[in-house]
Amino acid sequence: MNKTLQSLALAASLAAAGAAAAQTPAKETPPSPAAPRDFTLPAPKHFVLENGLSVTLVNYGDMPKVDIGLFVAAGNSYEKASEVWLGDLTGQLMREGTTTRTGAQISKAAAQMGGQVDIGVGTDTASVSGSSLSEFAPDLVKLVADLALNPKFPASEVERLKADNVRRLSIARSNPQQMATEKFREVIYGDHPYGRIFPTEAQVKGYTLDQARAFYDAHWAASRARLYVAGRFDTAAVESAVRAAFSGWKKGAMSHPAPPRPRSERAVYIVDKPGAVQTTLIVGLPTIDASHKDAIPLAVTNSVLGGYFSSRMTANLRESKGYTYSPFSQVSNRYRDAVWAQNADVTTAVTGASLKEIFYEIDRLQAGAPSEAELESAKNYMLGTFVLRNSDRAGIIGQLEFINFHGLPADYLNKYVANVRAVTPAMVQQMAQKYIDDTKTAIIAVGDRKAIEEQVKPYGPMGPAGR
Amino acid sequence: MRHRTLIAALAIAAAPLAASAAETLKIPFEYHKLDNGLKVVLSKDTTAPTATVTVYYNIGFRNEPKGRTGFAHLFEHLMFQGSNNLGKMEFVKLIQKNGGVMNGSTRFDFTNYYQVVPANTVETVLWAEADRMKGLAIDKDNLTNQQGVVKNEVKVNVLNQPYGGFPWIDMPMAANTNWQNAHNFYGDLAELDAATLQDAKAFFETYYAPNNAVVVVSGDIDPVQTLGWIRKYFGPIKSSVLPARPDISEPNQTEEKRGVKEYLEAPRPALAVGYHAPKRMTAEYFAMALIDQILLQGKDSRLYQALVQDKGFTDEVSGGINAELGNLFDINGPTLFQAYLFHDKSTPASTILDAFDAEVEKLRAAPVDKATLDLAKVKARSWLYDQMEGFYGFGKANLLASFALFDDDPGKINTLEAEFEKVTPELIQKTAQEYLRKTNRTILTVPGKPEPPKVSKPVGF
Repeated sequence: MNKTLQSLALAASLAAAGAAAAQTPAKETPPSPAAPRDFTLPAPKHFVLENGLSVTLVNYGDMPKVDIGLFVAAGNSYEKASEVWLGDLTGQLMREGTTTRTGAQISKAAAQMGGQVDIGVGTDTASVSGSSLSEFAPDLVKLVADLALNPKFPASEVERLKADNVRRLSIARSNPQQMATEKFREVIYGDHPYGRIFPTEAQVKGYTLDQARAFYDAHWAASRARLYVAGRFDTAAVESAVRAAFSGWKKGAMSHPAPPRPRSERAVYIVDKPGAVQTTLIVGLPTIDASHKDAIPLAVTNSVLGGYFSSRMTANLRESKGYTYSPFSQVSNRYRDAVWAQNADVTTAVTGASLKEIFYEIDRLQAGAPSEAELESAKNYMLGTFVLRNSDRAGIIGQLEFINFHGLPADYLNKYVANVRAVTPAMVQQMAQKYIDDTKTAIIAVGDRKAIEEQVKPYGPMGPAGR
Repeated sequence: MRHRTLIAALAIAAAPLAASAAETLKIPFEYHKLDNGLKVVLSKDTTAPTATVTVYYNIGFRNEPKGRTGFAHLFEHLMFQGSNNLGKMEFVKLIQKNGGVMNGSTRFDFTNYYQVVPANTVETVLWAEADRMKGLAIDKDNLTNQQGVVKNEVKVNVLNQPYGGFPWIDMPMAANTNWQNAHNFYGDLAELDAATLQDAKAFFETYYAPNNAVVVVSGDIDPVQTLGWIRKYFGPIKSSVLPARPDISEPNQTEEKRGVKEYLEAPRPALAVGYHAPKRMTAEYFAMALIDQILLQGKDSRLYQALVQDKGFTDEVSGGINAELGNLFDINGPTLFQAYLFHDKSTPASTILDAFDAEVEKLRAAPVDKATLDLAKVKARSWLYDQMEGFYGFGKANLLASFALFDDDPGKINTLEAEFEKVTPELIQKTAQEYLRKTNRTILTVPGKPEPPKVSKPVGF
């Protein structure tokens, strides 16, 4: 959840797409691709320990490396209103030592395997992740287990970690994209944990070692967890290392966060950032989650609208108007919950003009189905990136966890290609009408209030001001 | 249909993974040069039915025209605006509708265009890359549009960020003295606006020629067939007369430099230290890369242990050699070894520097022990594999392209592990003495905006 300053390569360009100019007949056309080659998903080996830990091993690839991910239902959504980022402090403390290793010894052990091990805390899940050279895979399993099962919670590290979190909080809140996300979540989710991505400074400073330990005791347990190992490794050795290292973990009981009741009404929320040269826009609303029967058609619809460079939003906002560099839309999923949103950082003077184009594109898709060719492009892109995701250790783990976390059918990946292929132009139009209802979108604008207030007024009643 | 689990099993059978059996990776490749000077590297890898197709031009922002800061990068955008047979944005659409991902980037010493695509579409992509190497077809509207896009890119990544260009743009500008290395490579907005179609035409004709480029295709390919396509589509493109390259050398630095960056919205102070690195591919350069592993990379590193774990000055120390804009090997000219961090007002930068220097001085005072060096070598090997895998295997093509472009020897990719192995404790010390001297460095500080008054609250645990 904490994001440090981005260090970006001059990522350039890309592009976008677009507003297709008619072909001049005299031009050469590209040679057609050969027949596609078959792609077989890597075959996972799955088993469940007696304490309920779900284990998936995927022996894949030629690179002599291995990745491990242990995902636990211990994310921020399990925090009370008075506990925001307590889950983070818990994870940080777990990384500072086990009953047999100090934090420094953990780091050194991982480095000696040519890897690292870390704990991350996300909205719904916390994770212990590690990587190493292949020859150390069983040792890496043991190290990951040690962090998850035997944390020491050293009192000596608490004040330092809290000071780090205060600093991270302060830096995160100065970042316009994070400011926008904070407001968006607050507007959509209100008091639900999904509605609070940042604690107060006083909260962070007030947490105690006992609170962190209690959060760990309540949430870190085998039946709340899923373990994945992907890469090149000796399967038998890893399986026996998993059984030996994790069988003693307490069983616990699975629980899901309380379902949110997301709010959805058309209004504009300005977060003032005096003097800002750009306005950070989010236009979005709650939508169907990953387990819904329309989730894949909606994902295809999102691609057409703003989900990739060849999308309509990019063609318009970037390649036609030059208002922004990297507009994108996405469906972001949480447990039995999702939002759709269009994001764009636009030059301050064209804040209103950008909103006009965003709504124009939503309305246009609702008013008419895309052409077969436009839809085919979006589908092929999604299927191409599906193959890429499943050709990569971290991608494989991410895909499998996505399915397990959302409780999707076991054949989800095998049917994915057919389900994407089955989406028709008419369905895309219907999805846009049904799930991207722009009479209900919240509009977040982080920017120079003086310069943008009049520009955004036509797009909805003013919501309560931000900070 | 291929059975990838079977492939993996065979690979393992060939090289059994005992607990201590370290592997050395050998990347297969072919290297060719066409009559027009185009370098070609092909590398077969059947892990997945995908391929990387990339073209690197030997022109980066270091050598863009004076008075036109940011032009190399703006030009990269223009390469997506139209060629002889593909109109504005049709290149991108062609790649994406075939299920591929793509991008371009502009770095110190090259501009690259890359695609990761289903392997059955390689010929289509090669045709499209050759088409835009043959000629640009853009108009004033395209240029104006991309000037707007690039200015928005600079705003979103720099001008509207609390720490602006710290340190990735600020440090090269502060540490270097030669304009080639020390100008604002993202571009002053006014100079971006000043660019003309004529500038674009001249830049294209000068630098975007086959004898200033390398094509790399890696992945699930038939090298013979792929080379045939490259000859067919790129072979007819005329070479150009390349201008003499400007002097990009940096003078030996003899005094420590200090600079202050006032970012008024930065909520906390920040500190960066940059040292000129040894010349690329020398023994000292590999030693410097291991010093980076010892000092800076990973939570086991000495600076993390000292500044984060022991002193609690910060939560992270970032940096490396050319780490902000690439890696060790995808740069040709002078580069920096840099470390940076964010801290609190309650700790003065001088206090952090003292602790930083204590770690650096240990490396200068005595040779490291064998265990320390062995650990750095294991980390470097693992780092190298990660680099090769980056962006769905594009990272391997990036290394092959860099070694072909800068060294005329893509085979260097298979010598790196051995070069790391050769480094001795004595060479680490010698390199630290020469390159980690204070007179070889630049210190940048961001003071951060004043902190609001604090309300103290009792804390217990």
